[in-house]
Amino acid sequence: MRRKDLSEPALGALLLLPAALLLLAIVVYPIATLFWTSLHAVDNANPAAGEHWAGVENYTRAFDDGRFWHSTLQTAIYIAVTVPGALVVGLGLALLANRPFRVKWPVRLSLLLPWALPLVFAGLIFRWFFEYNTGVVNDVLGRLGAEPLQWLSSPTLATAAVCIAIVWKASSFMALMLLAGLQTIPKSLYEAAEVDGASKWQQFREITLPMLRPAIFVALIFRTITAIQTFDIPYAMTGGGPGDATETLAMYIHKTTLDFLDFGYGSALAALMFVFSMVATSGYLRYTRRSVGRGADA
Amino acid sequence: MQLIKALAVATLAMAIAGSAWAQQTTLRIFTGGQQRPDVMRKIADEYTKRNPNVKVDVEVGGATSEAQQQYLSTVLSSKDSVLDVVLIDVIRPAQWAAQGWAEPLDGYLGADKAKLLPTYLKAYADANQVGGKLIALPYFADSQFLYYRKDLLEKYKRPVPKTWDEMMETAKIVMDGEKNPQLQGFSTAGSPIEGTVCTYLVPLWGAGSDLTKDGKLNLDTPQAREPFQLYGRMKQTGVLPKNIAEIPTDRIRIDMQAGNLLFGMTWGYVWNRLENDADSKVKGKIGVAQLPHDQGGKSATCIGGWQLAVSAYSKNKAEAVKFVRYLSSPEVSKMQAIMASHMPVFPSVYKDPEVLKANPWFADALPVVEGAKSRPVSAQYPQVSDAVRSNMNAYLAGTKTTDAALADMKSRLAPILR
Repeated sequence: MRRKDLSEPALGALLLLPAALLLLAIVVYPIATLFWTSLHAVDNANPAAGEHWAGVENYTRAFDDGRFWHSTLQTAIYIAVTVPGALVVGLGLALLANRPFRVKWPVRLSLLLPWALPLVFAGLIFRWFFEYNTGVVNDVLGRLGAEPLQWLSSPTLATAAVCIAIVWKASSFMALMLLAGLQTIPKSLYEAAEVDGASKWQQFREITLPMLRPAIFVALIFRTITAIQTFDIPYAMTGGGPGDATETLAMYIHKTTLDFLDFGYGSALAALMFVFSMVATSGYLRYTRRSVGRGADA
Repeated sequence: MQLIKALAVATLAMAIAGSAWAQQTTLRIFTGGQQRPDVMRKIADEYTKRNPNVKVDVEVGGATSEAQQQYLSTVLSSKDSVLDVVLIDVIRPAQWAAQGWAEPLDGYLGADKAKLLPTYLKAYADANQVGGKLIALPYFADSQFLYYRKDLLEKYKRPVPKTWDEMMETAKIVMDGEKNPQLQGFSTAGSPIEGTVCTYLVPLWGAGSDLTKDGKLNLDTPQAREPFQLYGRMKQTGVLPKNIAEIPTDRIRIDMQAGNLLFGMTWGYVWNRLENDADSKVKGKIGVAQLPHDQGGKSATCIGGWQLAVSAYSKNKAEAVKFVRYLSSPEVSKMQAIMASHMPVFPSVYKDPEVLKANPWFADALPVVEGAKSRPVSAQYPQVSDAVRSNMNAYLAGTKTTDAALADMKSRLAPILR
C-alpha cells in the first residue's frame, strides 16, 4: 500500500513551518511584546506604582516631550546628511574598486575593513581624531595656521564630526553593495557605447547609473534604516553632549529604558521609532516598484 | 578478587573527588574598570588561599558608573544568576533596594550587624541601609580633594589655595610664568557623566545650600546659580581647559600624570597612580588638600566610594556574604589603601603607619571624608543625575546660559523630587 503523498501546498506549508516558527519567536513575539508594554505603565524605577494599563498615555507623553522631538530631529539630521553622504562616497569607492587592478584583494580588503570594525570602535577612533588637545584634526588645523576647534563641545561641530564618522563607517558597506551591482553590468554595453563615441561621463550617466539603480535602492534602504537607529557612534563620541544636543532617538530610548528603567515609556518611544522605519522603508519600496514597473513598460 | 578491590578503590576515589567537587564554589564578582580590578584580583587570590574551596572570577565592566549600571540593569532585570557579588557606586543602594536586586544582608549577619555597623565611617553605614535593610557593605570610601603641583607652587612661592579666587589667581600666575601651552590651570569632570553631578554640587554645598531641602527640590535659591558663576569665572580667566565639557573623571588623572595640569578636583584613587605608574611625570611633585571654598564660605566635597552588594539572584548567597564580609574588613581596607590609595571605610585604618607611609596625605583626610556630603538619595537617582549633569555639561560647553541651564535642570527635576 502506497502512503498518501502530501499535496504540494501542504508540503510547502510544512517545509516553511520551521522558518515561520523561528521568525515568530525572534521577530514577531518581541515586537508584539514591545507594543503591548508600550500600552502599559511599567516604571521599574518606581516599582511601588505597579504595572497597569495606560492606553495611549505613553504616546501622548512622547508628543509632549521636547526631548523626544529634539532627539527625533537630531536623528533626521543624521539621516539627511549620512544617507546621501555615504551614497556618494560609497559610489566613488565602488567605482574605484571596480577598476581593473592587477591584484584585487588589497582593494577589497580595505573596502571591507571599516565595515568589519565594530561601530563603537569607530566612534572611539573618531572621538580621538576630534579631541581638542591631542586629536589629529586639530593638529592639522594648527599646521594650516587655523585655531583649534572645540569639535565635541559645540552642537553644530559635534553633529558634523559625528556625521563624518558615520559616513566613513557606512560608505564601505554601501560600496560593497554597489560594487556587486557594478559587476553585473555587461562589458558589451560599454564597448557599444565606446563605438558610438560616448564620453566616459555619458557612459556613466546612461549606462552605469540606470543599470545600478536596483543596487542603489537596496543600499539606500539599508543605510536609511541603520541611520534611523543611529546609536553607537554618537554614544561613543559625545555621549549625547553637549547637554543633550547630539542625542539621537535610539540613545534616548536606551537612556529611558536602561538608565531610567521606565520600560513603558521606553517601549512607546521604540514603537514610534519602529513606525518611522516602516514608513521610510515602505516609501522606498513603493518608489522602486513604480520605477521597476516603468522600466518594464519602456 | 583483585579486580573487585581495584574497582572499590576507584569508586571510593571518585566519591571523594565528587564530594570535593561539590564543595567547590566559584563566585563571580563584578567591578568597574576604574576601581582597580587588578587589586581586587590580588585580594581575591588571598581569599582563595585561605578558603581553597572558593574560587573567585573577577568580571570587569565599564569605566564609568553609569556604563556599569546600564549593563547591570540588563543582567539583573532578567534575573540572571551569573553574578554573585557586585561593586556598586555609593549613589545606588536606594535604587537597588527599590528594584530588589540586592539580597538584604541583615539575616546573614544576625547579631553581628549591631556590632559591625558602628565600626564603619558613619556615612557609609548610613548610605548602605535603606528602609531599615542592609543593602550592601562598604568596600572603599572616597571623596574629592584638591590635587596640586607642589613643585610649581613652591617655584612661584604660592601657598596651597584656601579659596577659589586664590586658586584662580595662583593658576594665572603659574600659567603665565610657565608659558607652556599644554599646562591647564584647573580641571574637574565636565562631560555628561556621573562625576559632573559633583562638579555642580560642590560649589552649591560650599555656598551653604543643597539640591533638596527636606526631600523637596530646592533650586529657587540665589546659591543655585553659584556653581555656574564660579565655573564661568574660571572659563573667562582661562583657568579651566577650553574642552572642559569633554573631560571625564579619569582624564583629570591622565592630564595630571602627564604634567599638564596644575590643580585637579578629583578622587582618592588618583594618588596611587600619580605616585606609582611607570609613565607618571609627577612622582613626588603632588600634594593633596581640602577643596577650596568661597570667601567666607566652607569647603565642601562629594562623598563617593564603592559598596559590595550580594545579587538577589545569586545561587551562592551564603558563600557570597562570607566573601563580602572579608572584602569589607579592616584588613582588606588596609590592603586597598596601600595598593591603590583607596580610602579606608574604617576610621582606625587611617592611622595605620604602613597606610600613612603609602599615603602621607591620609593623615588629614579623615575629617574631609567624614564631612563629605551625599548626592540626593532617590530610587530614581539616574534621572536626577541626568538632569544635573547634562545641564552642567551644556553650561560648561557654552551652549546654555546660567538661566537656561538652571531652568532646564529645575523642570526635569521637579517631577522627580516633589
